Amino acid sequence: MSSPAGTPQRSWRPSTAVRRAIAGERIDLATLLARRVIFVAGKGGTGRSTMTAALALLGARAGKRVLAIDVDAKGDLAAALGSPPAGFTPRVVQHDLSVLELRTDESFQEYLNIYFKVPRVTRLTPLARVFDFIATGVPGPRDMLVVGKIAYEERRKERESRAPVWDLIVVDCAAGGQVESHLAAAKAMLSLVRGGIIRAQVEWIDGLVRDPQRTTVVLCALPEEMPVVEAIELHDRLRKGAGVAVDMCVLNRAVDEPVTAAHRRLMKALVDPEHADVVVQQLGGAPAPLEAGIDLQAHLYDTTARYMRMLRSKLPMPVVPVPFIVDRTGLTTTRAVADALSSRLA
Amino acid sequence: MSTADAGPVPERRRSVRQDAAGLGRRLAPLDVVICCGSGGVGKTTVSAALGMAIAAAEDKRVLVLTVDPARRLATALGIKGIGAEPVRIPKARLHRAGITITGELEAAMLDMKQAWDRMIERYSPDRATAQRILRNPLYQRITDSFVGSHEYAAIEALYELHDAGEYDCIVVDTPPSRNALDFLEAPSRLTDYVGSRLLSLLSGGPSRFGFRAMNYAAAPFLRLADRLLGAEVLAEVSDFVQQLQLLYDGIQGRARSVYRLLRSPQTGFVVVTTLEPGPFSEAEFFCTKLREFKMPLRAVVVNRVLPDVFRDAGGFAAATALVDDPKIAAWLSQELHIRVSSDSARFIGKTYLTRTTLAQREARQLAKLSRLGEVPIVRMPLFSEEVSELEGLVRIAKTL
Ligand SMILES: Nc1ncnc2c1ncn2[C@@H]1O[C@H](COP(=O)(O)OP(=O)(O)OP(=O)(O)O)[C@@H](O)[C@H]1O
Ligand SMILES: Nc1ncnc2c1ncn2[C@@H]1O[C@H](COP(=O)(O)OP(=O)(O)OP(=O)(O)O)[C@@H](O)[C@H]1O
Ligand SMILES: [Mg+2]
Ligand SMILES: [Mg+2]
Repeated sequence: MSSPAGTPQRSWRPSTAVRRAIAGERIDLATLLARRVIFVAGKGGTGRSTMTAALALLGARAGKRVLAIDVDAKGDLAAALGSPPAGFTPRVVQHDLSVLELRTDESFQEYLNIYFKVPRVTRLTPLARVFDFIATGVPGPRDMLVVGKIAYEERRKERESRAPVWDLIVVDCAAGGQVESHLAAAKAMLSLVRGGIIRAQVEWIDGLVRDPQRTTVVLCALPEEMPVVEAIELHDRLRKGAGVAVDMCVLNRAVDEPVTAAHRRLMKALVDPEHADVVVQQLGGAPAPLEAGIDLQAHLYDTTARYMRMLRSKLPMPVVPVPFIVDRTGLTTTRAVADALSSRLA
Repeated sequence: MSTADAGPVPERRRSVRQDAAGLGRRLAPLDVVICCGSGGVGKTTVSAALGMAIAAAEDKRVLVLTVDPARRLATALGIKGIGAEPVRIPKARLHRAGITITGELEAAMLDMKQAWDRMIERYSPDRATAQRILRNPLYQRITDSFVGSHEYAAIEALYELHDAGEYDCIVVDTPPSRNALDFLEAPSRLTDYVGSRLLSLLSGGPSRFGFRAMNYAAAPFLRLADRLLGAEVLAEVSDFVQQLQLLYDGIQGRARSVYRLLRSPQTGFVVVTTLEPGPFSEAEFFCTKLREFKMPLRAVVVNRVLPDVFRDAGGFAAATALVDDPKIAAWLSQELHIRVSSDSARFIGKTYLTRTTLAQREARQLAKLSRLGEVPIVRMPLFSEEVSELEGLVRIAKTL
């Protein structure tokens, strides 16, 4: 693979493992989990929260101390980890796994506190709102709230041992293209901030985000048109615009078991009028409706395969299908998704 | 065979269908129909189909005002250059696809930038103010990205089109957003922003020497902003906010008339949802909000519902036997005179049972729908084929 155009300094060169993975459509889990920060991005509803939670579980299983961060703050990430809503300070949800949720107001205060030593005040809401308004107009500050906090957590050290508090941080990004502005924020800030301690901090954050060894993105898509198109566009903008590495794309809710000729033959025989009576008696019911199940399965399999091909032809990275999971209660689904990921990335 | 119309249609479904029959006719007397719902549930598809259904039901001039970033709808309607200018959908084309419309059907795409620019021009007290705002580098980014800005543009465009009175009925597709409520709150949110006290504090400041002499309340923020952004950016911000304040009266007045239009008995909201837990609870919440805001909910379209063939008791029994009975493959091989592997038998049973489980979950969600009030509820089956073709849209229009 040629190095991507338009990425100055550190263009993304996939590691040997990733290159091998591309060739064989695989990436190994250890490589992925060895990153410091994984951003999980994609269109709304594609399973970002579930995937973030699953990667966090896998990290913890691999013996890492993991922090999962919810940028969307709807409480979905905590729920996917089987925990009640968390807050702005990391909440332990299970051994070696904590979760925290970013909210604008709190992030704003924390930001002021961390980077400007402004003491926390009880009610900063109107101020935060004005800030919000202006921040939408000026590239950088609002997104810096997000990356700033993530970078702060990345750098945090245990008081005594000076070892990092977290081995791995997995971030559940906001829907759509927002991740791009988060990741590009530090770069944008560099053009605004000319000197002083802030500049050093921003430079450091930019360095973290654009280091493919430490930071990566996992894209989520569904076997539907818009989520796939958005994943492809997002990948282009992330690599060309923000200069951030993307390690893999997950095609979630994939239906990957094909309907074979043998299945069709059996189905046909089951509804054959010649045997109808005995079959109904043996099975305890008429099997005719089952044909609809086969048809839907075949349709969904074809759709999945079509979007798999599309993603694989457009994305220079492994595209990993994660099957549709039927039992749906937060942690159960997450565990099943984690198992599917680890078996496909093993 | 398509799964959508496979199998028998039990009684319950038929009654729901009948209740919904003629949604097009039911909505046709309205001036404005607004399709709302969370992202990806089928708002664009349903609004196009509703436009067709209305134009088929009555001799009306119907406009579908769509927001479809992928331009899939334009392709489906067979019109290439769909833009801010309405384009007519040829009757003959619709006829060939299987629907005969008595009225006229046109489609237009929302142009965000144009809607905002026009709005600034309209509310500015004079041309100079308008020019100054339009030229401010912050303007574009703010209109692009503040919460509800797409929604606001859509509402503005709707209001203007309605005001011009060229159409009997305007069907509005709302922008993809995480939160359907953004649409309802957009006008008041903009008024709040522009009228906020802190913004006026900000706007008072001279830019060149920074804001240090300014009001105490804004001081920490300004010190921060100054350190963060530098005086130059702050000057831009200040100028922008100052100009924006001049528009306040216009924007506030407009917000009031917009809300009047949204509450009018000539307006109807159609909430589109799927039975997925996320979109569904959002739809429930949205319906409550509509009631609270006294905005008229006319119908709920439940999209992508699994067909009833997956609720069949006989099918369930047969599928269970195929999965659970260890001797079934041998028995089938003998009786049907073909080689049957236990894997095949289990596969066929399992694919059905999976959908049964999902259909049961959907049924539980559907039962909750009555909580949404006394409105017609239309169930739109999950189609196996692409609905992005005109034929697919027509099929949906006919279900409506
Ligand atoms: N592989 C899967 N199989 C079945 N259900 C899934 C799968 N992955 C996710 N889900 C379910 O789909 C829904 C949406 O997933 P999730 O909340 O993770 O998506 P998201 O991208 O974070 O959504 P949002 O944009 O609302 O934040 C959830 O109910 C989740 O349990
Ligand atoms: N009943 C249905 N059966 C099968 N596919 C459907 C059905 N309704 C819609 N779709 C498909 O689902 C996808 C999303 O539909 P659509 O674009 O109308 O949603 P939307 O709510 O407008 O999305 P957005 O919020 O992104 O604007 C499209 O590919 C459409 O063809
Ligand atoms: Mg989420
Ligand atoms: Mg749409």
